[in-house]
Amino acid sequence: MKARARDAASGEALSGALFVAPYLLVFLVLLVYPLVSGIWLSLHKADLFGGSQYIGFENYVRLFKDDVFRKAVWNTCYFVLLTVPALTVIGLALALALNNGTRRSAVLRGLFFSSSVLSVTIVTLIWRMVLVPDGGLIADLLASLHLPSVPFLSDARLAMPAVALTTIWWCIGLPMMLFLAALQQVPKDLYEAAALDNAGWWRTLLRVTLPSIRRTALVVVVIEIILQFQLFGQAQIMTLGGPNNASLPIVLFIYQIGFQRWDIGYAAAASEILFCIILAAAMTQYLASRGRS
Amino acid sequence: MGQTRHGPGRIAATAALALAALIMAAPLLWTLLLSLKSNAELLRGTGTAFAPPYTLQNYADIFGHSAVFGWLLNSAIVSLGVTFGVLALSSLAGYGFARLRFPGRDVIFILVLFGLAIPEQSVIIARHQMFSALSLHNTYGGLIFPGLAAPFGVFLMTQYFRAMPKELEEAAWLDGASRFRTFWKILLPLSLPAQATLGIFTFLATWNDYWWPLISATNSDMYTLTVGVASSQMNFAQTNGLGFLMAQAVFASVPILIVYVIFQRYIVAGVSRAAA
Amino acid sequence: MRRALACLTMLGALLGCAPKQAGPVQITLQRFFGACDAEYGSSTNVAAAEGECGIVTTLINKFNAENPDIHVKVNVVYWPGYDQLSAELAAGDPPDLVTMHQSVISDYAQRRLIMPLDDGLASVGVSPASFTRAAREGVMRGGHVYALPFDNWAPLWQINMNLFRAAGLVQGGKPVLPHSPEELLAQARQFKRATGKPYLLQSMVNEPAAYARNLFTFLMQQNAVIFPDPHHIRLSTPQAHRVLALFKQIYDEGLTSKDQDYTAATSGFLNGQGGVYLVGTWMIGAYEQASKQPGSPLANGYAVVPYPQLYPGRDATYADGHSWVMPTAKRSAQKTRAIFRLLRFLKDNDFEWSRTGHLPAYRDVIDSARWRALPHRAGIAGLVDAATPLPPGVQRQFIIQQIVSEEMESAITGQKPINTALADAQRRVNDVLFNLL
Repeated sequence: MKARARDAASGEALSGALFVAPYLLVFLVLLVYPLVSGIWLSLHKADLFGGSQYIGFENYVRLFKDDVFRKAVWNTCYFVLLTVPALTVIGLALALALNNGTRRSAVLRGLFFSSSVLSVTIVTLIWRMVLVPDGGLIADLLASLHLPSVPFLSDARLAMPAVALTTIWWCIGLPMMLFLAALQQVPKDLYEAAALDNAGWWRTLLRVTLPSIRRTALVVVVIEIILQFQLFGQAQIMTLGGPNNASLPIVLFIYQIGFQRWDIGYAAAASEILFCIILAAAMTQYLASRGRS
Repeated sequence: MGQTRHGPGRIAATAALALAALIMAAPLLWTLLLSLKSNAELLRGTGTAFAPPYTLQNYADIFGHSAVFGWLLNSAIVSLGVTFGVLALSSLAGYGFARLRFPGRDVIFILVLFGLAIPEQSVIIARHQMFSALSLHNTYGGLIFPGLAAPFGVFLMTQYFRAMPKELEEAAWLDGASRFRTFWKILLPLSLPAQATLGIFTFLATWNDYWWPLISATNSDMYTLTVGVASSQMNFAQTNGLGFLMAQAVFASVPILIVYVIFQRYIVAGVSRAAA
Repeated sequence: MRRALACLTMLGALLGCAPKQAGPVQITLQRFFGACDAEYGSSTNVAAAEGECGIVTTLINKFNAENPDIHVKVNVVYWPGYDQLSAELAAGDPPDLVTMHQSVISDYAQRRLIMPLDDGLASVGVSPASFTRAAREGVMRGGHVYALPFDNWAPLWQINMNLFRAAGLVQGGKPVLPHSPEELLAQARQFKRATGKPYLLQSMVNEPAAYARNLFTFLMQQNAVIFPDPHHIRLSTPQAHRVLALFKQIYDEGLTSKDQDYTAATSGFLNGQGGVYLVGTWMIGAYEQASKQPGSPLANGYAVVPYPQLYPGRDATYADGHSWVMPTAKRSAQKTRAIFRLLRFLKDNDFEWSRTGHLPAYRDVIDSARWRALPHRAGIAGLVDAATPLPPGVQRQFIIQQIVSEEMESAITGQKPINTALADAQRRVNDVLFNLL
């Protein structure tokens, strides 16, 4: 660390290596090694309690034929489609509405971000008591209007939207903050020029604001895709993936296969598929936006 | 932003904002109301929560029921552990990648960036196997180590150090300070704003982590808050303890909400910086 | 005041423990049944405790108080806790005693993940001869005892007699029960006309098992072979179709509650929302309490009976039971002795546990006057003979129940034709059994 030969390239190389080494060690041991050993594991019929046998790609073949897994993949994509556009649009709308110095906006910004700091078990506990048809907040409100309750968590068509609603409520803070930050970076003179042109609110939004925060929008979409593909806790606690697997996401599938059926080779194979899907989705989004600019 | 909006559009926007705020606040208020009702009354119907009588009995019960304090302590230890670990590792590596030339630097950096796309979930099965072999489950280390590998911090700190003027450290060099001393005395203090951002986000993410503690912290002494709350949630006892359960949820949220209120300013500033 | 005292006692206990002596052997006991420390955390008064959580908590407190050389540390898990147990076993760090359903024992015993208890139980004077038949079948595999049985349980018809009376379904102080599917439908319609409420209350949302228990019960009553061998299930049958069609008709005609999860149905019955709640023995104690409270919809109007025999095959009810297992691990002789002392204590207190409503696992308790003197026990004593578990060799019974329940839910709520759901359930279960490692 105390290499005195600071002008020598070798000294710099040594200290550079020393600065980077601690993280690199952790990175290799805790991320790269599990990734590689997970891939290796996925080629085995392997048991949670030891014992495994090499079977090539058989787990993957099984996955492609597994109706429940295919459903889980579809469910997860559906969930991403339900949440990511909503989070992006609502996040942007809130940012536009709250991008000013008033006290009211400060309080509302605080409110909209506050749910993000709650843990998933608390959020789901709260929302179960909002959504359950018997004794939930919505049901109680409907009952006071003499309307029948809605079985959000038990109707196959409503379960995933209900989980998505919960997730949007929980996660809306981050996109809003990111957009707020971006709005503050838009050069003031652009707005002044637009005002001189007598451009209306919509026109200013379309011509000045949106083009200026395009990069942030991309960041928001990519971050949210990566996050929402990893749906787990909300589904596990609110619906157990039901009814009839209608809200079973890939990660819960992996958990069930690994820790309930003890079939970790199969679970590892599903993990690798998840990895590929997330990588592909994020890359597509990234490349698409690059191509456009 | 265009301040020129008037008339019906403005009213509609205000109404939409008010509705959004209501949707945001209602579940929280509902939870608070439920937590203030006796379990016996809730059993007759949760509609009773809209009217008095209210009671603090559920909160009094929490103080007799010590488990939640243990969960809070574990969450705090693990979250702080991960936060300090990430800050130390990321700052060192970020400086290394940003300022020092060594063979393979750029390739290694790209590999680390590639790590950003590895979802936690896709390595969790293999990592569980590995930690089993090392007997790391049900230890603080077992809960802290996985959080240290996330490449985001390295990425953030590298960008931050790259943006700093080189003159700062060159002056120190000329005075004969070592690399590490230069880093420690000059660059690190200057990077505090970035450290704050990274620290807050790492803390929040770790505090809310669920799956890994669920399968690693299986001993109730080691439960973190998320796992502890889950363990009391899906139990059949829920039927007659709804008020208590909700009080526990409120109580468990208070510390993190306080942290949030105190650091709110830094969170906003931090997000701006990360986005920029 | 009582709570303040409880707090002080706790504090005292904590301080008392502070200077760690060479001291007590620690046993880690992992259980479901929920957490209720706020109410029972420091109580050793077992006789005053109510419900599964209250009784098991006070039992352990009492054992700790009576055995200063042993400390039982309790790990409460998310029901049923098997994911967590699997994670612990994989990590090589399992607890010392764990609650386990008898239907699950095969999974772990077959893999030697739990230990045979024969010698240890003999050393504390517990012989399998003292178990009831159902308990013995529940905990023995290949001639070895793999668990200390705690109870047997079965789903029951829990009846709101006040509503039954209003519907004209009480004769001579006893509920009128159906003897065939047609009678069931007729009585349910009569009930609905008279009270405007559904005849059945069922947990139908996020329900991992209740559907399957109903199916298994009514298949057993038709003498249907559910498992021709432990690796195959047979569900694409006219018998199974008959059962699903019955439940679907009940659902379609609005003769059952819909959209309630377990919690909602459990409190719904308390609030008089329906006539019969299909739930297990564990609710008897709580509902009996409610029936003593004036003003409760159940006041002086609660009865409980086994599932009626709807099909002419035989009188059978699907049953399971709770038990205590010892995961395989290296333990000192001292610790092992402590564990068996605790098991003996649990066996000796099986009567207290049976106050929950579960059937005792020991013949001396079930034959005892004090058990028969508990409310409603005479009515359900017949369960001892009717109780029928799935064949003990069948592994992954919890997953099987879950798959069957999912498919039944689809069929009953009309998302899939009955035949498709049954075929899917059969295929999915057989796939799980085929892929067993």
